[in-house]
Amino acid sequence: MRLRLKRGLLTLTAALLGLPLLTGFALDRFDWNLPAWVPIPLVPLDNPMTNAKVELGRHLFYDTRLSADKSMSCASCHQPDKAFTDGLSVSEGITGERGARSAMSLANVAYLPVLTWANPQLTSLEVQALIPLFGEHPVEMGMAGKEKDLFARLQAESVYRRLFARAFPEEARRGLDALYSLGTVTKAIASFQRSLLSFDSPYDRYKYGGQKHALSVAALRGEALFFGEKMECYHCHGSFNFTDNIQHSKLPLAERGFHNTGLYNRDGRGAYPANNPGIAEFTGDPNDEGKFRTPSLRNVALTGPYMHDGSIPTLDQVIRAHYAQAGRAAQGPNGPSPMRSSLIAGFEVTDQEVADLVAFLNSLTDEAFIRNPKHANPWTPSKRN
Amino acid sequence: MKSQILVGLTTAALLSACANTGTYSSTQSVDIQFAAAINGQSFACGQSYANVGTTKSTITPSDFRMYVSQVKLVRKDGTAVPVSLTQDGVWQYQNVALIDFENGEGPCRNGTTPTNTSVRGSVPTGEYTGVELTVGVPFALNHQDPTVAPSPLNSTAMFWNWQGGYKFIKFDTASNGLSEQKPAAPNAMGPVTRYSMHLGSTMCASASRTQAPSACQNPNTLTVRLDKFDVQRGQVVVDMGSVLAQANVDVNAAGTSPGCMSFPKDGDCPPVMQALGLAYDGVAATGSQRLIKAR
Repeated sequence: MRLRLKRGLLTLTAALLGLPLLTGFALDRFDWNLPAWVPIPLVPLDNPMTNAKVELGRHLFYDTRLSADKSMSCASCHQPDKAFTDGLSVSEGITGERGARSAMSLANVAYLPVLTWANPQLTSLEVQALIPLFGEHPVEMGMAGKEKDLFARLQAESVYRRLFARAFPEEARRGLDALYSLGTVTKAIASFQRSLLSFDSPYDRYKYGGQKHALSVAALRGEALFFGEKMECYHCHGSFNFTDNIQHSKLPLAERGFHNTGLYNRDGRGAYPANNPGIAEFTGDPNDEGKFRTPSLRNVALTGPYMHDGSIPTLDQVIRAHYAQAGRAAQGPNGPSPMRSSLIAGFEVTDQEVADLVAFLNSLTDEAFIRNPKHANPWTPSKRN
Repeated sequence: MKSQILVGLTTAALLSACANTGTYSSTQSVDIQFAAAINGQSFACGQSYANVGTTKSTITPSDFRMYVSQVKLVRKDGTAVPVSLTQDGVWQYQNVALIDFENGEGPCRNGTTPTNTSVRGSVPTGEYTGVELTVGVPFALNHQDPTVAPSPLNSTAMFWNWQGGYKFIKFDTASNGLSEQKPAAPNAMGPVTRYSMHLGSTMCASASRTQAPSACQNPNTLTVRLDKFDVQRGQVVVDMGSVLAQANVDVNAAGTSPGCMSFPKDGDCPPVMQALGLAYDGVAATGSQRLIKAR
């Protein structure tokens, strides 16, 4: 009994020691470089983080050869200086076709159990990457049916030979078809996206870093409003990522939150515009009309225009013309939406309070994040960007 | 060298295994079952329940979760013995457990897929005839930073506010009086389609919205003792229909949170807090709680 157990342990130990050597992970341990209070994100078992994948992903993310006419990269709609949004109400694809929704920030996207504004089934960054690349409704990067072209373009770039081989040594041994594939491309892009971590805003320094004076007096008053029962902001924009959609290594149960904020009431019964009905489009449940995923408010000062369709230009207007009114629709011909969340009750607000709340929201901007050279375009201007 | 360490580890493992099985065990494991109901009917996401409240409304719940703590088994002589909870890293932490009746399906979409309908732990071996528990989170755990707390105290859904701590009970529902077909429920800012019962501590003054208070004027924790409870086969039945029996779930008092969210001076709260056996706005409860009973 004792001998057998010992032999089993030896075998197990050998396997554990051998595995990293075989796969190369032992040589490339990705360091999340997170403050001690921040839990490590969850990562799919089949796509562990490595520096090599992040670096390859960064090159792909900024590479316009990923779009059919080589005019757009992922970064066209996810620009670092705008916290990886594009400043537009809705994004345009290579054909000029406008999508229905606003490009979302990628800051801390590693903590999201569900992605995009309105698809509760989209739970992995690897799968999500396929939508802008290959989607046809609307056309974004326009690569539908052109994946062979894509792989040929990537293989022709000398920089990628080294990057792909280092990021995917196992696939490299199996040949070029395995190495340049949708699997490797999406895994690398997803790894880069998971490395976009933003936890160094003035609010972080005040709340978690012990820097009592990192926030202005106005921002402190705004914090009280944000976490108060009059405005109720934090019910949906809770958690350290300021959204009720969250998963991480210390949270065994992923949390999802989809809400109708009463932005539209087209028919008196809460209808949203037909091209943008919220998750009802996927669930088929009429009770889900107008429900969208709560976005994170980190770096929100940089991510306007606001709401899923970019229909409100400023944070000031989001507060005054939308939330204070019990939803913007309340001011329209059909009155407030009966479908809106019960927490959207409206409130009276003074100019001072709006300014204070905006000051608090501005304190969520992480300047080090948007300037982080590790997140920047790796291609020199003469090459691709 | 390596094999020496392994031998050492193996020996230690075998020795500790012997210690566990070889000595007389003086504790017994317990698994106290909970069941949710609306007026006696089993709770399930997507189900509707008739005859709720003073208007005999039909409700379709969208969330039903609660924290229980300080769980004890009661001996025949009335002594209460604390259950030492299994620290499972998910549902139970120290002496608090999250009971979660919703499964993330249908109207409960914003919830979590796994449910948790029992409290698991151990007590000294003995004969037990009752159970005692507190609905709520103990003060010492209730006002920590929930964004960095361990599970199940890091659920954003159960996080209420920094001063109050957690929602001890989170029950959300639509009612047919608040539907989109009948959007006439009086509310100063227009109709809403939801009614909520959120129980939590109130009037917990603190220096700022994100700092812990030193005490709460209204802790609103609810300690229940079920003297006759079959520990092996019994169920702790949590019936929200009984709590809402004297409430009108089709209206919301103007200018207040939807339904009763425990805040002072909410006209929707007196009948609900009465049914929970809790004082409200300075008025003591006249009867005992009607939320929990043994089956």
